Amino acid sequence: MLTTDTPFLRWMGNSAVVAFGTTLLSLILATMAAYALSRYKFVGKGPMGFLFFATQMLPEALLVVPLYSLFAALGLLNQLGGLVLVNTAFAMPVALFILKSAIDNIPYELEESARVDGCSPLSILQVMVVPLVAPSMAAAAVITFFDGWNEYLFATTFIRDRSSWVASTGLASFIGEFSTPLDTVFSAALVFTVPAVVFFLLMQRKIVSGLTAGSVKG
Amino acid sequence: MTVTTPTAARPAPAQAPRRKRFSWTPYFFIGLAVLYLLLFAVIPLLKGLDLSFTNTRLLNPTAGRYIGVDNYEHLLGGGAFFKSVVTTLVYTAFTVVLSLTLGTVSAFVINRYFPGRTLARAVIVMPWAVPTVAVALVFRWIYNDSTGIANNASSALGLGERGWLTDPAYGMPSVVIATVWKVTPFVMLVVLAALQSVPEDLYEATRIDGADSYSTFKLVVLPFLLPTLRVVALLMTIWSFRRFEIIWLLTGGGPVDATNTIVIDVYREAFNNSQLGLAAAAGMLGLVLSLVVTAIYFVVEQRANKQNGMNE
Repeated sequence: MLTTDTPFLRWMGNSAVVAFGTTLLSLILATMAAYALSRYKFVGKGPMGFLFFATQMLPEALLVVPLYSLFAALGLLNQLGGLVLVNTAFAMPVALFILKSAIDNIPYELEESARVDGCSPLSILQVMVVPLVAPSMAAAAVITFFDGWNEYLFATTFIRDRSSWVASTGLASFIGEFSTPLDTVFSAALVFTVPAVVFFLLMQRKIVSGLTAGSVKG
Repeated sequence: MTVTTPTAARPAPAQAPRRKRFSWTPYFFIGLAVLYLLLFAVIPLLKGLDLSFTNTRLLNPTAGRYIGVDNYEHLLGGGAFFKSVVTTLVYTAFTVVLSLTLGTVSAFVINRYFPGRTLARAVIVMPWAVPTVAVALVFRWIYNDSTGIANNASSALGLGERGWLTDPAYGMPSVVIATVWKVTPFVMLVVLAALQSVPEDLYEATRIDGADSYSTFKLVVLPFLLPTLRVVALLMTIWSFRRFEIIWLLTGGGPVDATNTIVIDVYREAFNNSQLGLAAAAGMLGLVLSLVVTAIYFVVEQRANKQNGMNE
């Protein structure tokens, strides 16, 4: 039923593209920024840190209007890539807070010896820091994946073509529609939910420690 | 690494040693992320501010003209916007209070040892992992007038049937219940983590001093918990202010505007009424409101910190 009457598998595939894209982009940007915030003193550090916090206060519904006109001008409407770009703006700061508190906990002496050996900052980050904060990166990855997987507001506003819908938009389209039988709707909801729940159960502990480590420092 | 000083253990430096010369390295690391947020958060915010002074329509976005503060006058002059402000505050207050209370209580329950605790914890936390759209679908079915279990339950209890999502009197409670179901596990998770970070020897010390369980709670557990609770309360408040999906998918702001919060209002103005300019102005006012609430929170917290400092 699900796969014959609706392109639900295709919607799931689109969701996966958006969620993986959001995760990848968020982690790259957040890891580098977290390293800078944790390890360096520089002019403008305070305001930049505040910028990451402040974006968490912006309601998506406020930004959806100007982003819509921006995306219309750039030809990004109806593009899954456009969704990756906006989701990353909201998910990346969360990843950054988790990773910063993880990097704060690594003794600096480790990197110092590598620096003496002539490693560049970027390779220190890649070779030494990233492996050490791998558990926190996993937690950040799960949370950003969640964001991309669940997101509905931008998806419903920016994607008009039914074949480019993501699963959340597809599921929501069942609401108020009487032609789709309830058991189909619920199996779709279940299929949509399972990946998120499985990820969550695998990462439960890491998410909690990441969240509290980040929140204690405000 | 091998050159460790045998003297007292010094605290690990959280910060790199001060560097005298200017270096581009930190800017290289943080630059991309900052640029990214400028592009996708700050510029849209400024664009929204700009839009709020125009009469731009969705269908013809280039034809908007500047009309000064007309949008703001319209919103602040009429009663409709204030009604959505009140709706937002009511929704936020009930959601935050209920989820904090339930989440904290269940964290205390689950923190005690009992058989099957791990399983119970996984089950209780599950709603947080369920995607919001799926939550909304399930609750729409629960609240359904003819087939929903909410009405089955209430008529079985002799309370009669209610229009959970169609009667204005029940719209807000229905939405709050669904939201609380979804967000309480988050509170529980964080409070549980805080509870487990209370050092075991502190409990022991108070036990040796002969404290009863109430004073143990007041003197040991609560001081550990309060900072966490404050942070969670702020997060829940900010998130309630901007929460869109669950309300939109359950009621769409209805019945008869009963659940029309500011963000729902913004979305309706923009995409149902095509009034981009007016929607942007409403969004700006909403942002100001959440900034005010955050500022109040920080003032309260600073005062609390000061008081703690004086008591010590």
